[in-house]
Amino acid sequence: MAISPTTWLREQSRPVRRLLTTGIAAGAVQAVLMCGGAWLVAHVLAEAIFAGRGLGELWPAVAVLPLLAAARFALTLLQRHVTFEAGARVSAGVRLSLEERMRRLGPRWAAQQSSGEMVTRLVDGVDALIPYYAGYLPQVALAALIPAVILLVVLAADPWSALVLLLTAPLIPLFMVLVGRAAEQASQRRWLRLRRMGARFMDALSGLTTLRLCRATAREQALLEATGEAYRQETMAVLRIAFLSALVLEFFATVSIAVLAVLIGFRLMWGTLAFGPGLFVLLLAPELFMPLRALGTQRHRRMDAAAAAEDLIALLAVPAEAAAATAGPSLPGFTAARIGIELQQVSFGYTSDRQVLHELGLSVDAGTRLTVVGASGSGKSTLFHLLMGFAAPQGGRILINGEDLTTLALASWRQHIAWVPQRVHVFHGTLRDNLLIAAPQADARQLERAVQAAALVPVIARLRQGLDTPLGEHGQGLSGGERQRLALARAWLRDAPLLLLDEPTQHLDAATAAVIDRALAKLAEGRTVIRIAHRLDTIAADEQVAVMADGRIVETGTASALRASHGAFARLLAADRAA
Amino acid sequence: MNGGPRDPRDTPLADSGQVLRRLLGLARGHRGWMAAGAAMALLSTLSGIGLLAVSGHFITSMALAGASGAAINYYTPAALIRLLAILRTGGRYAERLITHEATLRVLARLRTWLFGRLVPLAPAGLGGLRSAELFSRLRADVDALEHAYLGVLIPLLVAVVVTGIVLATALLYLPVLALWLLLPIGLGGVLLPRWAMKKGGASGATAVECAETLRTLAADGLRGRAELALYGTESAHAERIAAATVRLQQARRQTNRLEAIGGAGVALAAQLAVVGVLVFALPAVHAATLAPPDLTMLVLLAMAAFDAIAPLPEAWAQLGATMASARRVFALADTATPVIEPQAPSPVVHDDGLSIRRLRLRYGALEPWVLDGVDLDLPQGHRLAVVGPSGAGKSSLVGALLRLYPYQGSITLGGTPLDAWQGDDVRARIAVVDQQPYLFDASLRSNLCIARPDATDEQLKEVIVQAQLDGYVASLPQGLDTWVGENGVRVSGGEARRIAIARALLADAPILVLDEPTEGLDAGTAAQLYQALAAAMAGRSVLLITHRLGGLSTLVDEVATMRCGRIVECVPTAAYLGVSSGAARASAVSPAGQITGI
Repeated sequence: MAISPTTWLREQSRPVRRLLTTGIAAGAVQAVLMCGGAWLVAHVLAEAIFAGRGLGELWPAVAVLPLLAAARFALTLLQRHVTFEAGARVSAGVRLSLEERMRRLGPRWAAQQSSGEMVTRLVDGVDALIPYYAGYLPQVALAALIPAVILLVVLAADPWSALVLLLTAPLIPLFMVLVGRAAEQASQRRWLRLRRMGARFMDALSGLTTLRLCRATAREQALLEATGEAYRQETMAVLRIAFLSALVLEFFATVSIAVLAVLIGFRLMWGTLAFGPGLFVLLLAPELFMPLRALGTQRHRRMDAAAAAEDLIALLAVPAEAAAATAGPSLPGFTAARIGIELQQVSFGYTSDRQVLHELGLSVDAGTRLTVVGASGSGKSTLFHLLMGFAAPQGGRILINGEDLTTLALASWRQHIAWVPQRVHVFHGTLRDNLLIAAPQADARQLERAVQAAALVPVIARLRQGLDTPLGEHGQGLSGGERQRLALARAWLRDAPLLLLDEPTQHLDAATAAVIDRALAKLAEGRTVIRIAHRLDTIAADEQVAVMADGRIVETGTASALRASHGAFARLLAADRAA
Repeated sequence: MNGGPRDPRDTPLADSGQVLRRLLGLARGHRGWMAAGAAMALLSTLSGIGLLAVSGHFITSMALAGASGAAINYYTPAALIRLLAILRTGGRYAERLITHEATLRVLARLRTWLFGRLVPLAPAGLGGLRSAELFSRLRADVDALEHAYLGVLIPLLVAVVVTGIVLATALLYLPVLALWLLLPIGLGGVLLPRWAMKKGGASGATAVECAETLRTLAADGLRGRAELALYGTESAHAERIAAATVRLQQARRQTNRLEAIGGAGVALAAQLAVVGVLVFALPAVHAATLAPPDLTMLVLLAMAAFDAIAPLPEAWAQLGATMASARRVFALADTATPVIEPQAPSPVVHDDGLSIRRLRLRYGALEPWVLDGVDLDLPQGHRLAVVGPSGAGKSSLVGALLRLYPYQGSITLGGTPLDAWQGDDVRARIAVVDQQPYLFDASLRSNLCIARPDATDEQLKEVIVQAQLDGYVASLPQGLDTWVGENGVRVSGGEARRIAIARALLADAPILVLDEPTEGLDAGTAAQLYQALAAAMAGRSVLLITHRLGGLSTLVDEVATMRCGRIVECVPTAAYLGVSSGAARASAVSPAGQITGI
């Protein structure tokens, strides 16, 4: 572990230090004003009781009290405002650097993540940082500052009382540390338990249908009850210790008030203390412990933020693949109407010990069509990733019209690619947004043409708001075939000289497959096409085929020739027919 | 969806009391704990307030005695101060323990109750819960209900009782003061927080909406990263995230401001209360209608009373959220059971033949019929495949057979109508290998033993071999005790399918239903599965559901073709293959024709 969450959290506060300082200062000033208010109350009561003065003489002091209260009100708002701002800025900054990070990590990494978990980290985890800066961190400073201010004031008013407070108050942090370490662990365990118990319950609900199918619901319910009971007993054992730190604080706060009251009372009776300062001290005593108590209630914010930070640190520390995406924008732009591709001894592995491509050689002339086949895991998708610049080869070269891909500006190279992926992602947005993402500048006519060509017309007719129907997780769903058509329409809009097709593995019914095949054939005209075929029964006899196995091209030729040669292709065909 | 939780805005506000009563009703059996917790909370809060008030009274009396030289009984108040200090400290500790005890008890009860209510609804009545969003909302709702007692009920109760006692005390000493105190207490404890809550409704909704947008953007950024990179729209994506963050924070800022006003408002009200005491009590002291020690006591009483008012803004805010959560949870729990279980025990039969006649099924009153007149027979020991394109209603057929979905028409099991069977008894006779088997967050062993918790190690070993899982289990360092599911090792599609097969084998039912057993698997993995499936089918009736028969054809005797919710033909496998090879060839179109004759 390179860095602890707490250190990381504190480091992030550097750019917002001023805001935090302002907030802390506002809190400290407020404490001073509070002391002033308490003094006024003590003064008014002392004068009224012992000097016999009435409201007529004392009204100016009474009138100042609401003003002080108003000032404290304003200062509280200021404090909350600036510290929130600090938290908001840190979290916004972290969110942007995470997005930047995801960009560096690239599509392959993204595809491997469990999206639910990652979304929780990216959204809720980052949001959990705000309360740490808005609440916990300033409170840590105030828990030291405010008692110090109050102690000083009490010292001026009555040194003996200050001595009592001085004796009890520093014991609190000491005891809190002693009990606190155990309590902190205990309370962490408590959160963990509660979370686990919640997770277990939710797991049972997620698998409810499976439980019913297995006739296990009654047993599961009894089990939930039993674990609930066990959790309760364990948790209570933990809590008995966890609450001890609060008990210690409460004990000292309460006892020192009681001791002070009794001491002050007797010294008043003996005449060694004036009533004004005595009451003043009694009014201030509870306030001394207030910030410490507030810190206790903020503790869970620190724990939440630390838990989130741990995830985020791990995320920010994932080593980026030697992705081509890091290539600078200074490279020359690239434009070509036709694309010829040659791979020379390309080697690539996602980790050093697992090589996916071994000195792969392949050439596709401009305007021709090549179909790549091979068992899953043979490196077909990796080939596409390299061509699209999602990763850079570790050995060998990829030549585009004779130029090395690493010398081209990626953004301008990618403009030459249209891609029909195996799993089409439908973005959150309307169907129109989902089409235009491939070509934001396309006009209505081009859109219309793409929709026609990709056979999307019946799909649009089915959707209630046509092209403007919201899609994605919260919108309407598209079936597998409809998604394929969406990808085709994107490829049409893209109108690029290189077409990369990754056939869907999910079987489409015959009619849909026929529609998509026809649209594809039209799209392929005049372009360089590389197609990955998963189902071999769609390969035409005269198609140029390259067979991949273990990261190498093992056979090339027309489908009929390869079939006749009884090699790797023929074996794949046999396996495919058996499935 | 018929079973989805209703929008809370649909329900009138008037039922709040009813919802609250029902929520309390759920805690039946633990009311003693809840009452004890509330009593302890009251005791410790009142002791704290009393401690300050008595101290004020005490020091003033002592000072007066010192000034006049009069004798004074200081034993009683000094002892009272010590007693209150102990009650305060011990009471607070006891309060925390007891309230948490009560919370945990109620929590366990709430969960088992909700689980019990949801069981008969799965999956037909929980259609909406398949979406991750609704599910996470249910999770948040349950969490909110769990905190209702500690975060809402106790603070509200304590505030009400303390306010009552403080006002009564004031009334006793200076009636006009009680009237005045009502104002800051009402202002700081009720009016200001309620105003902030009302005003914050819009920004709260915006925050939820923005967080949702961020969630979808984050999901798009993961699942659609390749598209974003290829289309050069990553910067635009980052800008959208930044824009949503700005909007989210704007809303949160507003909420924060209102919360600050609520919190600082209580402090302001406390100061107003003190000013009020001074304004009304000073003339009374001057006129000698109020004793000086009582003046000090009233000032400190007014101040301390606001310790009980301080948690109110938070409690009010939680109350609104809790009620909304409770309404959603109750609406879900009250969903009518889709399949009604018969009163009588299931019939006793010795035959496991299934017969389906004119079966119709749909997922809602306004939805189209998914099954529309299915006729099908599966005599005992037969093996039948139902083949059809996706959307033809194949999986719905399984739902009806297992008594998970209501249907029209008739299904008989062993010659007796399925309606007369207890759902669990039907499912004891039919084991299913589902399309997407759910793996629980537990050990592999527990996942396998779900249908048969008393399975011996030998039985377990046997089905693992039959399901071709032995190699996989051997490859796991912890073998059967390996944790799978959400927090466990990743399980591939093929492995999950074989786990489901082993599960079904362990259930040892006379009828086996296989729903798309090879979907999404590559040719090699699928081929391995055939052996496992062949073993699973031995000696059982089999219903195989698939969109593409392929290699599965060797496993069945008969093939029924399903289209648009009906069985259009049912022929022996050989006949099906003979006919369909020609039909498939004709319909599968490829740009340059097929490689024929391979």
